[in-house]
Amino acid sequence: MKQTVKVILLIALGLFLLSHLLNGTLSFYIHPRFNVLTLLTAVGLTALGVGYAVQQRRQAAHVHDDDHEHEHEHSHDVSWAGLLLLALPVVLGLLVEPRPLGASALQNREINIGNDVSLTSASAPEGSELNVIANAGERNILDWLYLFQRSSDPASFDGEEAHVIGFVYRDGRFTDTQFMVSRFTVSCCVADAAPIGLIVEWPDTAVLTPDSWVDVSGTLQARTFNGVTMSVLIADSVTPTETPSQPYLYQ
Amino acid sequence: MAQIDKQQPAIAEEENGKTAVSPRTFGRILGILIILLLLIGLFPNLIPSGLNEKFQTFVTIFLGIFIEAVPFLLAGSLVSGLIEVFVDKASLARYVPRRAIPAAFVGALLGFAFPVCECGVVPVTRRLYQKGLPVSVGIAFLLSAPVINPVVLVSTYVAFGWGPVLIGRFVFSILIAFIVGLIFQFAPPEEILLPVVDAGHEHEHYEAGNGRIQRLWQAMNIAGDDFIDMVRYLIIGSMLAATMQTFVPQSTLISFGGGPVTSVIALMVLAFVLSICSTVDAFLALSFVNSFTTGSILSFLVFGPMVDIKSALMFMGVFRRRVVLYLILLPLTLTMLITVFINLNLGW
Repeated sequence: MKQTVKVILLIALGLFLLSHLLNGTLSFYIHPRFNVLTLLTAVGLTALGVGYAVQQRRQAAHVHDDDHEHEHEHSHDVSWAGLLLLALPVVLGLLVEPRPLGASALQNREINIGNDVSLTSASAPEGSELNVIANAGERNILDWLYLFQRSSDPASFDGEEAHVIGFVYRDGRFTDTQFMVSRFTVSCCVADAAPIGLIVEWPDTAVLTPDSWVDVSGTLQARTFNGVTMSVLIADSVTPTETPSQPYLYQ
Repeated sequence: MAQIDKQQPAIAEEENGKTAVSPRTFGRILGILIILLLLIGLFPNLIPSGLNEKFQTFVTIFLGIFIEAVPFLLAGSLVSGLIEVFVDKASLARYVPRRAIPAAFVGALLGFAFPVCECGVVPVTRRLYQKGLPVSVGIAFLLSAPVINPVVLVSTYVAFGWGPVLIGRFVFSILIAFIVGLIFQFAPPEEILLPVVDAGHEHEHYEAGNGRIQRLWQAMNIAGDDFIDMVRYLIIGSMLAATMQTFVPQSTLISFGGGPVTSVIALMVLAFVLSICSTVDAFLALSFVNSFTTGSILSFLVFGPMVDIKSALMFMGVFRRRVVLYLILLPLTLTMLITVFINLNLGW
């Protein structure tokens, strides 16, 4: 009985991984470079399940070895609580709709808004100057932060046009017309997610839903936020948008 | 851990017998917790929306750590299944030197020959002791193998790249395992090891046949047992880590991160409590990079795989209690000395 449950659980876990890989929600949890590894794992788990099933059939064929078999069954006695635990990732994954990290997770983390704050240790790879996208309209929040970090003078970006996508975040430091358009950067899995963002000036900030995704266009301007001078995005338009299929940015 | 399956029940009994909480109580608490989690998942409207958001974050981080870790755990399980079936352990003794210093050194490097993580290393060590392995070699192996093996090498490299964390982790793990192994060289084995209780219990569960294909199936089944056995520790560990990340603001951790000594203590305590498998702890440590120095992160990555809650419990199935205490305190002291020295003097 427990052997059968083990077979089901192993294969279910494999299918769980496979389905997330296929529908793209795997990128809500881990860096895409692990996609192949996850695929192999799904195959491997299914193979283990099949291995159990084969062994079970073989043992059923050797009924004469009753005593031995009983002992075998006993020696790998994983408690039912243990099996329930094994089912937990799959069940939670099915019950709770897959969603990328959002504003709620952001409250617990140090936010990087550029300038003198350094990006995470994995940041600024060697020769990253080459990676900076020439077309300002195509730069994402991370690209902008790289640029801000390299420059000592926030005013040097004044007048540059920017167009970024992110989710809305606000806390006590923001005035009624300010919010932060935010993303998380991920190096391996969401456990190491670090929030980044640009401060946006937008008169209609009050109508925006926190945590909703927006498409922001505007020009950069050096302003003082929370006592620090930094480049602030003065928005021309803020429009609601869909959650991108790759919600995180990768360094 | 199931690769030496006949020992599994014995170890489980040790583990259960020596804990204050009986397995039944533990199972009940676990069951209630799981049902509670499922209820929240089924009826999200029952709880306030702020907490609901937190729950969503918890689930995302939990699944993130878990999905990230599963491939490495599976790889470890498959390797140990193959070793159990295809490697002849009896011939091992011939290659182990008898003199103290080379013996402890070989023990510290034995992990390359037996790539097991901290869950698998305890029963392997126990089996090796029964085959006549010197105590010091076994202890050095026990402490170093969770780090000194190809899987952990790769996962640490993937997480941190080539640098002080990767090199420091491996050098200091070997060094500490070597020193502790050497210390135990001078104690008589009967004062270190528990008497072997199940000597007359020899039998092979997986004696299904001798064909190559059949042995491969055997290895698969052992790997499956191994995986199911260890994935439970992984799931509990991921949940604890996700809970920490969801509810403890990073500023709390950062306040510890300030001092060169307190930060080391904080991360060593964290490593002990979280009991994260050594194959994945590098990914977890990555989330500390912003708040802690390299020395403190090294204390997490060196001490955690050697000793944590679950491995300390399993040690009790092999060693006498006093020895288990030494096995916790010696690596703790040595790791602290090294990493605090790094924090104070090297400024990595």
